[in-house]
Parts: sequence; structure tokens; C-alpha cells
Amino acid sequence: VEFTKVAADPSIVNLGQGLPDISPPSYVKEELAKVAAVDRLNQYTRGFGHPSLVKALSQVYERVFGRKIDPLTDILVTVGAYGSLFSTIQALIEEGDEVIIIEPFYDCYEPMVKMAGAKPVFIPLRCKNDGNSASSADWVLDHAELANKFNSKTKAIILNTPHNPIGKVFTREELQVIADLCIKHDTLCISDEVYEWLVYKGNKHIKIATLPGMWERTVTIGSAGKTYSVTGWKLGWSIGPEYLIKHLQVVHQNTLYTCPTPLQEALAQAFWIDYKRMDDPDCYFYSLSRELESKRDRMAQLLEEAGLKPVIPDGGYFMIVDVSTLNVDLSDVDEKQPYDYKFVKWMIASKKLSAIPLSAFCGPETKKQFEKYIRFCFIKKDSTLDAAEVILKNWNKQTD
Amino acid sequence: LKASDSLSFLLSLQAEMSRPVQARRLEGIDKNIWVEFVKLAATYSKVNLGQGFPDFPAPDFVTEAFTRALSGGNHMLHQYTRGFGHPPLVKVLAQFYEKLLGRDLDPMTNVMVTVGAYQALFCCFQALVDEGDEVIIIEPFFDCYEPMVKMAGGTPVFVPLRLNPPKDGKLMSSANWQLDPAELASKFNERTKAIVLNSPNNPLGKVFSRGELGLIAELCVKHDVLCISDEVYEWLVYDGKQHIRMASMQGMWDRTVIIGSAGKTFSVTGWKVGWAVGPDRLLQHLRTVHQNSVYHCATIAQEAMAEGFQRELMLYGKPESYFVQLPKELQQKRDWLVQSLDAVGMKPIVPEGTYFLVADISQFKSDVPDVPNSDEPYDYRFAKWMVKNKGLAAIPLSAFYSEAHKNNHTNFIRFCFAKEEATLKAANDILQKWKQEKTSS
Repeated sequence: VEFTKVAADPSIVNLGQGLPDISPPSYVKEELAKVAAVDRLNQYTRGFGHPSLVKALSQVYERVFGRKIDPLTDILVTVGAYGSLFSTIQALIEEGDEVIIIEPFYDCYEPMVKMAGAKPVFIPLRCKNDGNSASSADWVLDHAELANKFNSKTKAIILNTPHNPIGKVFTREELQVIADLCIKHDTLCISDEVYEWLVYKGNKHIKIATLPGMWERTVTIGSAGKTYSVTGWKLGWSIGPEYLIKHLQVVHQNTLYTCPTPLQEALAQAFWIDYKRMDDPDCYFYSLSRELESKRDRMAQLLEEAGLKPVIPDGGYFMIVDVSTLNVDLSDVDEKQPYDYKFVKWMIASKKLSAIPLSAFCGPETKKQFEKYIRFCFIKKDSTLDAAEVILKNWNKQTD
Repeated sequence: LKASDSLSFLLSLQAEMSRPVQARRLEGIDKNIWVEFVKLAATYSKVNLGQGFPDFPAPDFVTEAFTRALSGGNHMLHQYTRGFGHPPLVKVLAQFYEKLLGRDLDPMTNVMVTVGAYQALFCCFQALVDEGDEVIIIEPFFDCYEPMVKMAGGTPVFVPLRLNPPKDGKLMSSANWQLDPAELASKFNERTKAIVLNSPNNPLGKVFSRGELGLIAELCVKHDVLCISDEVYEWLVYDGKQHIRMASMQGMWDRTVIIGSAGKTFSVTGWKVGWAVGPDRLLQHLRTVHQNSVYHCATIAQEAMAEGFQRELMLYGKPESYFVQLPKELQQKRDWLVQSLDAVGMKPIVPEGTYFLVADISQFKSDVPDVPNSDEPYDYRFAKWMVKNKGLAAIPLSAFYSEAHKNNHTNFIRFCFAKEEATLKAANDILQKWKQEKTSS
């Protein structure tokens, strides 16, 4: 919330908050325009998810999961993936529970776990090349460290793959390590997979729920906002076995009851269009990631030329950057804030470029580990990236 | 793999979690009348006067605003807006409520947009109610209040509206349902954190008078209690009655959260846009809950709603105002349904507001035999029988009572009359035919 205010200034090139400034695909906008004309779609629909939407989701995800998914019992439609995280945590987590959160983490996990009365237990991704990271794949969990975090109180682990902010795409082997621990300790897995379609060449998104023994203990979360570049539609979903999803449905019926009808109908229609071409490279699920890969590469090059060290993400639309190489001295800034917070504020004020400090995504113990990194979002139109290019190319000239 | 590893591995393949999975906060809140009755209506009803939504179209100026927003070429309307409410919408809501309450409001701190009034209620209970707190709920009540209080760890304390039957054979009115002042006062104690007020009231249609509100306000001030004021039907008042806002009563602004709904105001229940209005000292806590539960509401719906409100602000009090036209239209429908029910022997309680009316079905009981020791209240069985056998959907009044009091009023069902003339006529046809069958048998 802090940083969105600062970056609302139009003179600042905003690569901070994770929202696209590219247009959603035209057929998505058209479907919404069509539903505006259908009167009954202005009234309440089924609480747990508009019938045509849950049907479409079940078809798409049956293909992806490789198993039968019942649209009425195995799916809940929520107000964004954010709402899915909330429903899952409120449904399944309570006082006395511990929940493992991998750092850096999407910032809402910690407060949501706390709001449910549980204790967050953090484990950091560590850079295996001793701090010299060129790729998100360099960031890994220490297996022994991870195993130590599990105990009889551990109710769940929150997994985010592809990962925000680092862009890591967990490999099958890495997922297996987590799965083995979940099975051994009878733990749930809350799998935030909102960036599931955004994986770049040489990488494959694997759903932990497809690993043996995991479907029955995993809630998989997805997002229309990230899938179709419509973050403002605020539609997401939870998919899992009925005996878990039914508790999320109870939370949902006691919190907001139903999601907006016209948006769900338009989303359903968009999904049908792409479902029919899931074997075709033009399917938006694949074409968006191709579009973003070139933006990723362009962003990385610009950052390197400015003397910064980007960590090339294997997925997602964020890139973290090591800014310590610039040696910007901010010790005179009289605040107890971590370096990256100070750096971003300085960058916004003096370079008119915004990003998000990585310590925003960490628990208190690891802030020191991550305070030399900031996060850029690259799902931006060419003119935004052009403006960023100008700033980055002039960067060194101004600091002299 | 060792042999024992293989075995447990194989066993684990199909195993659900063996430890209890759900959180204790879900205890006792898993049943929901709407899930059941909406399904029944969808399966069996030919005429649906059950769930509260209009079957007539939303007003043109609202759907046009939606279309304009979409065709406007600003594709950023498909992206996140301000979490606590889209700036144009909170601005016009603040302007509107400034007018209605006669006080200055800051759109950024005194207004918050939510996913329907439902989510505003959720934020109130989560933000303001804690374990050990008591919350007074007036029966009959919109059913979500009770589970929401429980989910927040609070204890619901019920106080009934009691029927003072009218004299000389007049039709019952929602005004005949009143709180007993002494009984109400007895419900307040040092553990009382809040009282939920719903005026105009769903399901009865009661519009609380200034005197009645004053009674509640005095007790709130005396016991330092908050008021969660659900005013979603604020524009739907009939017979020249006035909706009085609790927040405008003496000593109440500082302790009241007003809840409103675009769905009810503009006949677009499916857009799920609602709001909370109140002092910053209360709203700040609602914002905390909101940013940790949904964070943002859909942008485009808020944009269109802002335009809708801007139009109404300009036309406020004028005959073309939707807030003037809608209640006029609905009053006619109310009168039509009242007449229709009265003619067949179902005794309607004439509502002063909302688009619901409750009717006494005692004269139709012979069709649905009583089952002694049934765990289902009579009116539930009646309503289910009616939708399956007559194709007419309505909601049993006991759905709006706490578990302990479900058997207090089992001869009433609730009808929604926000329906096209054709729908109401079709309902009348079913009722007439039914009555004829009874008299001829």
C-alpha cells in the first residue's frame, strides 16, 4: 500500500507495482462488452462460482492437472487469487498452527497467517553461487534447513511457483523435496501459481498437486488478472479435493458470498476461446509468455548496461536486481530503514524510476540478506520500457 | 527405497490428510440457507419470488456507463485501482453522504468500497468484534449476521421484534413489529460491543421510526456500544415514509458504520459493489481487514457506479432521479402483491420499505402435513413443498431467526416483489389456482 501511493505520480516511470500497462487481449475486452448487454448477468450468480466459469476452469485444468476436476465441488471462484489465499488460510489455518513461508514472499502471506492466529515460520531461498546470481535458478532451498522447519505443529507450507519476486520456477526435484516433507508430516500445501503460464524458454511449470500423494493435500490457486492481464477484474480460483475446498466455500459464503457476475461470464468466454486452442502456439497462455520473454531480455540488458546486476527470472513478470554494485551512499539518510527502501526512495526522487525494495518481501530476520535487491516489473508497454531505457542510459552520467 | 518406505509411499498416494483440517472458526457456520434454496429455485421454480434480486432490467444509465467505460479506450480500467475504493467512486459517495448526513466527509478516510455490502459487513465484524464480545442482533435478521459474529469469535445476543397485531381487521404492517424497550435495554451489558441495525429491515420491511432509533441510540451512548447500520435498502421506502440514518442521531456519528449497496440502489446485485461510511477511527480498522482479505474490488464496476452516482447527485430529489422512480415503481408492485396474497387467503404484512414482504400462510397449511419432532421448522418444509409442487419460490421466515428461536414464527414465508409485472401476474395465477383447488376439494 505504501509504495503504490508514491508511484501514482505520472512523471515517474512505474516499474514497481505488479500491474500490466499493456492492454488485455482484445477478445477479452470484447467478451466483457458483450455481457454488458445481457440483462440477467447484472444479478447474483451461484455463490461458489458462476456455472459457465467453473465449467470452463474445470476443462482447462483437467488438461493441466491430468485428472478429473468437478466444477461444483473442486473449484471455488474468489475475488482475485488474493481472495483465494484468504479463504484457504481462514478455512484451514488456526491458532496453534505453524505455516512455513519461503522468503522472499508475496507480502500478504505473513499478515494473513497471523490474522488466522497462526505462527509464520520463515525459510529463505539462498543464492547458491555465493551471492553471484545470474539466474533465478541459482536461488534454492537448503534441504536440511527446510526439513528442520517441519514439526508436528506445521499445518501448511505456502509455495509460490513461478515465484514473486525472484521469478524462480521450482523444478520437479525441488517440488519432490517439499512434497516428501508434506507427506511425511501430514502437512497441507497452499500452492500460489498465479504466474503459471509465464514461464520462459527452457523451463516448465510443474504443479505440485500432480506429484504422487499431493492432490489430496494441496490447494492450487490461480488468477484471471495474471492469466489475461486484467488485474482489475479481481477474479481468482482455488482448485483442490472436495474435502478441502468445501471449507473454503464455507469461508466464502460467510465473507462475500458471491463474485461479480458479468466479469465471471466474460472470463468464462475468454477461457473457452483459449481452451479450444490449447494445442496451438497462438493460445494466449503461450503467446503472452513469448511477448514477456523479449521484454524480460530487454529489461535485463538495459539494467546491465547501467551497471546493475539483474537476476534473470525463469518465470513471472518480475526481475530482482542487485543495486549494491552502484555503491550509492545513503548512510546520511537518517532512517532505520533497510538499504533497499532508502535506495528506492532515492531512485524515485532523483531518477524518476520506481521499483519495490526486496525487504518488503521478507521476515524480520532476513532483511539484511535481501536489502541489496530491488524488484522491477516488466509487463509494461514499449513506451514505458523506452522511458525506462532513457533513465537507465543516463544513469551514470547523472551520478558523476 | 526400503520396503516400509514403499508401503507408506503407496498408502500416501490416495490418503487425505489424517489430522483435522478445518479451522475451528468454521464451527456452526457451515449451513447456509441460500445455497440450498437457490438450488431448489433453480431446479423447480416457474416463478421465483425467493432470493432478493430484481428480474427487471438495470436502469439504462448504469448499463450505458458500463459500456462507455469499456469502449472508452482506457485499458487501465482493466487493472488494479486504489484498494480502499476507486477515487471517482469514493469521491461521489462522500459528496452524497455529506448531503445526507449534513457533515463534511473525507473520501479517503470516511468511505471504503467493498465487494458488496456483504463484504462490508464482514469487515465490520472482523475489525470490531473480538472473542468475548457480545453483539446484539434484532430478529428477524438477514441471516449472515449471526455466522459472521461467530466467525469473529463474538457471541450473538438476540432481541426480537414482537408483533402487536393491528386492531379492527386491518392488514398487518411491518410497523406493527416492534422492540420492547425494556427487553432491549436488558440485552446491553459491559460485554456488549455492538448492535446490528438493519433499516429498512430485511425480511419484514420495517422502517425504524425516529423514536425507535432514538431508543437504540440512547442505549448505545449509555453503554458505549458501536452500531453497525445495514442500510442497503435506504432508497426503498414507501407511503411517503422517510429513511432516517442512525449516524445522524445524537451521539451516533462517532460510533456508527453505515453500510450501503450498489446492487440494491441501482438494481445490479451481480456487480457486487458496496461501501462502508463512518469515522476514520472505525474505518481504519475496516481498511486493515480489507487489505488483508481482498485488497481491491473490481475497477470497471466501480467506474460505472461512480457515473451512476454522479447522475443521481445531479438529479437528487427531482422526479427523474432513479432514487425517486424506483421506490414509486416498487410501491405499486408491493400493493399488487399484497392484494394478490390477501385475495387468496395468505395474510401479508405490508412492508414500509425494502422489496420483501412476509405473509402468514396458516390457511394453506393443510396441504403440507405437520411432521412431529421434525428438525426442520414448518415453514422450511412448506416453502420446499411449495416450490416443488407449485413452482413458486419463496423463503421461510425461520431462515431469519437464530437456532433457538426458529420455531417462534413458523407460519410465515418471505416473497421478493422486485419483479416484472409478468412475474407477479404469474405468481398470482399459481396462487389463484391453488386456492381454487383447496375450495373445490
